[in-house]
Amino acid sequence: MGLLSRIFGKDVSREQQPSAGVVKTTEVTKKEDKPVADKITAGHVHMSGCTGCLVAVADNYGGLLTLLDKYVDYVYDLTLADVRHIPKMDVALVEGSVCINDKLSVEEIKQTREKSAIVVAVGGCACYGNITRFARGGQQNQPKHEAFLPIGDLINVDVYIPGCAPTPQLIRNVCVMAYLLLKGTKEQKELAGAYLKPLMNLAKRGTTACFCDLMTDVINQGLCIGCGTCAAACPVRAITHEYGRPQGQRDLCVKCGACYTQCPRSFLNMDVIKNFESIQELIKGAL
Amino acid sequence: MSKVVEISPTTRHEGHSKLVLKVDDAGIVERGDWLSITPVRGVEKLAIGKTMEQVPKIASRVCGICPIAHTLAGIEAMEASIKCWYPDDARRLRVILQCANRAHSIALHNILILPDFYIPGTDTKINPFTPQEPVRSVAKRIQRIREISQTIGQIAGGEAIHPSNPRVGGMYRNVSDHAKLKMYDLAKEGLTLAHEQMDFMIAVIRNMQKRDWTEVGGKQIPIPKTLGYHDQGYMATDPVYGTTSHSENPTWSYERFKETRPWDWYMGEAEVNLADPSYPIGGTSPVGTKVNPQMEACTGIPLYDGQPVEVGPRARLVTFKNFDEKGTFGQHIARQLEYTDSFYAMLSAIDDLNPHGKVLADHIPQGDGSMGWAANEAPRGTDVHLAKVKDGRVQWYSMLVPTTWNFATCSRALTGAPWQIAEMVVRAYDPCVSCATHMIVIDEEKRIVAQKLIQ
Amino acid sequence: MAENFLGNYKSCVSARATDKEILKGAQDGGIVTQLFAYALETGIIDGAIVAGPSDEPWKPRPMVAMTKDDLLKSRGTRYNLCPSVSFIKEATRSYGLDKVGIVGVPCQVQAVRKGQLYPAGLRDVPDAIALVVGIFCMENFTYQSIQQLVEDHAGVKLESVKKMEIGKGKFTVKTERGAEIALPLKVTHKYNQPGDHVCLDYVAEWADVSTGSVGSPDGWSTVFVRTKKGEDVWAKAMAAGCFETKPIEQVKPGLELVTKLATEKITKNRKTLEERASFGVGKGLRNPYL
Ligand SMILES: Cc1cc2nc3c(=O)[nH]c(=O)nc-3n(C[C@H](O)[C@H](O)[C@H](O)COP(=O)(O)OP(=O)(O)OC[C@H]3O[C@@H](n4cnc5c(N)ncnc54)[C@H](O)[C@@H]3O)c2cc1C
Ligand code: SF4
Ligand code: SF4
Ligand code: SF4
Ligand code: SF4
Repeated sequence: MGLLSRIFGKDVSREQQPSAGVVKTTEVTKKEDKPVADKITAGHVHMSGCTGCLVAVADNYGGLLTLLDKYVDYVYDLTLADVRHIPKMDVALVEGSVCINDKLSVEEIKQTREKSAIVVAVGGCACYGNITRFARGGQQNQPKHEAFLPIGDLINVDVYIPGCAPTPQLIRNVCVMAYLLLKGTKEQKELAGAYLKPLMNLAKRGTTACFCDLMTDVINQGLCIGCGTCAAACPVRAITHEYGRPQGQRDLCVKCGACYTQCPRSFLNMDVIKNFESIQELIKGAL
Repeated sequence: MSKVVEISPTTRHEGHSKLVLKVDDAGIVERGDWLSITPVRGVEKLAIGKTMEQVPKIASRVCGICPIAHTLAGIEAMEASIKCWYPDDARRLRVILQCANRAHSIALHNILILPDFYIPGTDTKINPFTPQEPVRSVAKRIQRIREISQTIGQIAGGEAIHPSNPRVGGMYRNVSDHAKLKMYDLAKEGLTLAHEQMDFMIAVIRNMQKRDWTEVGGKQIPIPKTLGYHDQGYMATDPVYGTTSHSENPTWSYERFKETRPWDWYMGEAEVNLADPSYPIGGTSPVGTKVNPQMEACTGIPLYDGQPVEVGPRARLVTFKNFDEKGTFGQHIARQLEYTDSFYAMLSAIDDLNPHGKVLADHIPQGDGSMGWAANEAPRGTDVHLAKVKDGRVQWYSMLVPTTWNFATCSRALTGAPWQIAEMVVRAYDPCVSCATHMIVIDEEKRIVAQKLIQ
Repeated sequence: MAENFLGNYKSCVSARATDKEILKGAQDGGIVTQLFAYALETGIIDGAIVAGPSDEPWKPRPMVAMTKDDLLKSRGTRYNLCPSVSFIKEATRSYGLDKVGIVGVPCQVQAVRKGQLYPAGLRDVPDAIALVVGIFCMENFTYQSIQQLVEDHAGVKLESVKKMEIGKGKFTVKTERGAEIALPLKVTHKYNQPGDHVCLDYVAEWADVSTGSVGSPDGWSTVFVRTKKGEDVWAKAMAAGCFETKPIEQVKPGLELVTKLATEKITKNRKTLEERASFGVGKGLRNPYL
């Protein structure tokens, strides 16, 4: 299901729930408890991940505070807030894959889909399984925990943010764009939709990632130009360049999807990127 | 008659865990079980057969809050197994990384615990995300300390979260002169901010310690003076870094370690018969919920000298600096004291670093299958990885991570606390629950390994 | 209205560096080296990723230049692949740069801009990019290709080559001993890399400043100033006397030739993209622009 059709197909503002998040619940904030009417609600759902993705969210430093001040009511995040059960929200940032041998995990990912307008898979684990692709159980004290799936194998996912850890900047960009998509002017909505499109296409493309994607979908397709970007993107230094083409040490690859996503020949949506200067200004201005 | 209350999931820490508490009529915990309910990704088992280079990269991804500890403990376990020394400048880069991770982690933990505390002199709890002063300045300072630490970690370690620069035999690259200067200047700024932040946190903690009650879910809950006290031991291997089986004088001992199953340690089946829907936020589990910590716990119970021990900042300060404050507040204070220490240790490692020195061993043996271990003093405590490497491949791998040690100890420390503030006790351990997923060393195997070590 | 094949730009001139030392070993007007040297000196950047020398003759290797001396080593065009973007993250890590300069052919500039807007694996890089210089590019070669071109077709050992040039419809090899072998450009087409055939940019449209020889007289370069940042840096460099310039309208062959070549390249490659869409039987090849 496409994000745009889903969003524009129904009245999102009606769905806004009074937020039960940090901001509203601790005593100190009573005074500034004026609900900022045009904030979106967002939360972080932790599946089988390492919390590195959440650290990346927090690594927007001052920008995170601005996001929370102006644009986002953060309604759910076990690590940062006291809300214990998944509430309704506009945007769910999901970290980690799902252990299908664990009832609670399966229940939570289903709830996340049902309660969120937009589901964003944040990080390699949620998008592609990442290191949990290697899992094969057999470890005490729960030897039966052996089957882990990226969330896209269980629910429809709208947007992908690959990488391990994903970057604070891409998370930030997606948050700002999601805000514009839901609350912006007509032009802003268009821009946000266009910006998010390749990340939505990634979600449609599939739930596996590996260095091999560069072989199968770039080099084998006659598209590689030896630019070197994939090597820069890899978080485990698995890629070198030999005579103009990437060489992957597949014994190091953790299956995070950063290399393929970053490659200029995976997607290059010229209509958006050509406006790099103004989009960067827009995002910086927003924060 | 004691009653059973369950808080699930617990919040404001990393990962999924829960509390099952037997409480008396006054609501005081008689016996508490704190356990991980995070699915076990099984890193120790999936490691088998993989290369010694890849396994630490996977181990790093066990936890995104102390990934550096897991990377370094993983790599050094491999190095201990294959008996590989690495150059001094690689060591310095690793120490810089280690300290950067610790400072960042303390700062992050500040955000997680502040909502339990009051602005001194008021009955207002602290919401770290409020734009109001004085909290906003504190939040900004915390974020700046994190930014400084993550940036330094990124320069020395390649990535701010899962470091890519460390490798078996040393590091992939040394840093430039320019980068060394940049790290130094950042660390200097960090030190100043860490001093301020430490003072602030200590004031807040001391203020809380003086209070008689705290508000939870609209009720005033008394704070016992002995909150979080326990009679278990402490374990720490180094004030800053750690030790390995390959060190000249290892400060951790495999022989003193033993492991039991949660079966022997946690409560068996029980039914919740006390529930409080007003407990923030979402209430405790409803009456009638079936609980069974013995079966649900995702971790084993490691023992050192026959008992569970506490690891972490207080364990380090007790062991190396004659620190003697007990309980939840002592633990909080100890952690703040490590703020500035991290930056001092970092500055001295940066000072010693020669950017032109070599950082990779000339020869990296491929291993003959002997067991090696490395203990790293992660922000949350001793993180021991054990490995056997043969022909460059991992044959056996085990991780005794900080929170696994602390689960059992903290469970004991819950006794005597009003159940409504049990989570405060848990949070003082700065738990990283995702990492706490490891196998049990079977006695049989252990004896054989131990014998090999002695030989 | 005619389609714009030169991208957006704020100004365009023909220019040459005033620093004689830079000019000596530069490919054309020494624009790249001079601009980076100025940016380094004034703190606009604290390092630049350039194509430096390697162990093999004429094979470039990415290098982070942090001094003018480093920059001098990277002067001149090596017509084969240099994975410069692979250093874009490392520059901000072990090199410790906060303000990174980078030079690249159009596809590399595209990679950098995509990396700024969609940084999946480039944490903290987007805001560290301080100056992107683009160089025109019709086609590029693998090392093996350039070896065959020079050693088989031109008949000289790579080691003895002093300079290679593409221009005026020829691929020219100049040797240390003064010989000059010119091959018709046609010969090179067998050797250019397959990925170039879908390239839709000739003049590095997304760079801050982009430059190439085409359009300007020998020893001079055509320079497009494209972004606000580019405009700012260029104006400062001009004020500091880094370049002598001529209005592009007054030089021969001028923008007309640049437009012609850009149009040819892009039109041809769009056709290739179309052909790829129905390459097989009921199956096409992937199109990265969709
Ligand atoms: C593959 C290729 C094809 C080109 N095709 C054309 C063309 O069709 N028309 C045209 O007008 N100009 C073309 N150029 C550009 C031209 O050759 C000059 O590089 C440009 O004019 C800059 O000259 P300069 O004197 O200003 O730079 P200099 O001061 O000499 O500096 C040259 C810079 O280019 C960098 N460089 C050299 N080789 C490479 C490489 N392989 N990859 C990335 N960077 C490199 C060096 O690091 C150096 O910083 C091409 C360049 C390349 C690399
Ligand atoms: S993607 Fe990486 S950082 Fe995120 S949860 Fe998975 S392992 Fe951790
Ligand atoms: S990023 Fe893509 S185009 Fe560039 S070298 Fe890697 S695979 Fe090739
Ligand atoms: S090669 Fe590197 S970037 Fe690509 S999927 Fe594997 S780990 Fe990720
Ligand atoms: S022709 Fe295009 S794809 Fe090929 S090297 Fe030049 S800019 Fe890159």
